[in-house]
Amino acid sequence: MPSLEELQRDICDVICGGDEAHLPDLVSGDGMDPRARLRIYRNHAIITLTDALKATYPVICRLVSDSFFAYAAHEFLRGHMPARPNLTDYGGEFPDFLAEFPPCRDLSYLADVARLEWSINEALHAAGIPAIARTEFSGISAADAPRLVLALHPSVRFLKSRWPIERIWRANQADGDPDLAIDLDSGEVRLQIHRRGDKVALKSLTDCEWAFLRALARGETLADAADVALRTDLLFDLTVTLGTLLEEGGVVGFRLKED
Amino acid sequence: MVRHKITTRDGLAAAGIGLRSAHVAEIMETRPAIGFLEVHAENYMTDSPAIGGLEKLRRDYAISIHGVGLSLGTAGALDRQHLSCLSTLVDRVDPDLVSEHLSWSALPGIYLNDLLPLPYTEESLEIVSAHIDEAQAALGRRLLIENPSAYLRFRHSTIAEGEFLAELVRRTGCGILCDVNNLYVNADNFGFDPWAYLAALPARAVGEIHLAGHHRADVDGRTILIDDHGSAVSKPVWDLYAHALHRFGPKPTLIEWDSRLPALGVLLGEARYADRISAMTVAERRARAFA
Repeated sequence: MPSLEELQRDICDVICGGDEAHLPDLVSGDGMDPRARLRIYRNHAIITLTDALKATYPVICRLVSDSFFAYAAHEFLRGHMPARPNLTDYGGEFPDFLAEFPPCRDLSYLADVARLEWSINEALHAAGIPAIARTEFSGISAADAPRLVLALHPSVRFLKSRWPIERIWRANQADGDPDLAIDLDSGEVRLQIHRRGDKVALKSLTDCEWAFLRALARGETLADAADVALRTDLLFDLTVTLGTLLEEGGVVGFRLKED
Repeated sequence: MVRHKITTRDGLAAAGIGLRSAHVAEIMETRPAIGFLEVHAENYMTDSPAIGGLEKLRRDYAISIHGVGLSLGTAGALDRQHLSCLSTLVDRVDPDLVSEHLSWSALPGIYLNDLLPLPYTEESLEIVSAHIDEAQAALGRRLLIENPSAYLRFRHSTIAEGEFLAELVRRTGCGILCDVNNLYVNADNFGFDPWAYLAALPARAVGEIHLAGHHRADVDGRTILIDDHGSAVSKPVWDLYAHALHRFGPKPTLIEWDSRLPALGVLLGEARYADRISAMTVAERRARAFA
């Protein structure tokens, strides 16, 4: 008899799409081919994990059809079973998989739309830390302000694409117009993804806002981040951009950088 | 408002329902009278807003935390990271019941997203007992262990499942979550007597009962029952439930319905029906005792 460890390794192989080998000898038929019994478990894994991917990537599913999505998910599963029981973390490699998946070659924007859906999923499940208000900065002197380093809300994500992924995503929401004509060559987009309460908000950023916020997210000081933004656009408005970030609940903490 | 308890004023165990995200707002709004709410532990292991909603409901409802990912039957070591997440959740919510499954779901680095059957052998008994000991020590409380639905059995099993569970109770002090639908499905698929199975379980160790729907599927030219939690509880499962209550006495009972989710009212109707059966069996047990 195999040890439990050997048995589980073999069953795991079968569920992941491998060969049944000698397993059927260990499984009682009870009126059926033991291989058909093993296939029930293989199918269950495919169906439930496809459903989990569909829940994270509803727009991709809508763009490519249910049956194509099921095919893509089936191929993805071969090399990407979940590593952990928390399925909200599952499927982060799906966008890169789609980018390389030959049948999707003509849908060049698909992988970036998937990256947007993954960012939304991450934002939805990020920790719920309370944001800080403007008044909490009252103790910071004007002389110290340039040395401020801000901690952004854990749900904040930034995403850049050469495709109009935000418009594609919006057109494929329940209240969107899926037949809307979208010009794929309308230029690069830079997005901020951020959860407020239990809803995720998408926002299009200008080049200088993008430069500034990304610098803050990297942990650069206010002065350095503003410097990067001004080099991008001389008309960058620090007061407005920082004020909006605070209004949106995008900052959860701050510290002063030591010289 | 008086907090709902698993036990009603007349001492009966009242039925509960699974808490699904589609129903959370309506439950917050209408606060239906139910025995308890059960959640899947794995849906609350991130620090996202869902946990805030659960903590609010926890003030008014008894809560049962039902784990599906601990994989007590894996031959190697328990996933300590997962156990620690479960322990944090249990500390935070302070539930009335905590349960897991007599099954395995994972090997190191691979989670199979299913409750896979074990061969019932002395080796499995030792492994599962040791894992239950470890989990109960980490959680600081008793775990209820659920009998899984299964679509295959191993030729080298030497212990009947009911006896396997009874032995786990003896060795670890764990309780049993008796899933009557799983029992019905397995008895039908494998052709064994579910009544004899119930007779093998230590009644006092049963801490909860699950009820759910199943469907018939054609596999390899044979009709088998699939436990899919996607429909109302069937008549033969209600009958087996009544029999289980005659044997165990009233127990907290959960209506499990999580695929093709119906309106909240339908779930509440099923829970009330379970309460009626429970009240009836109590009356019959009393009548018998005085006969």
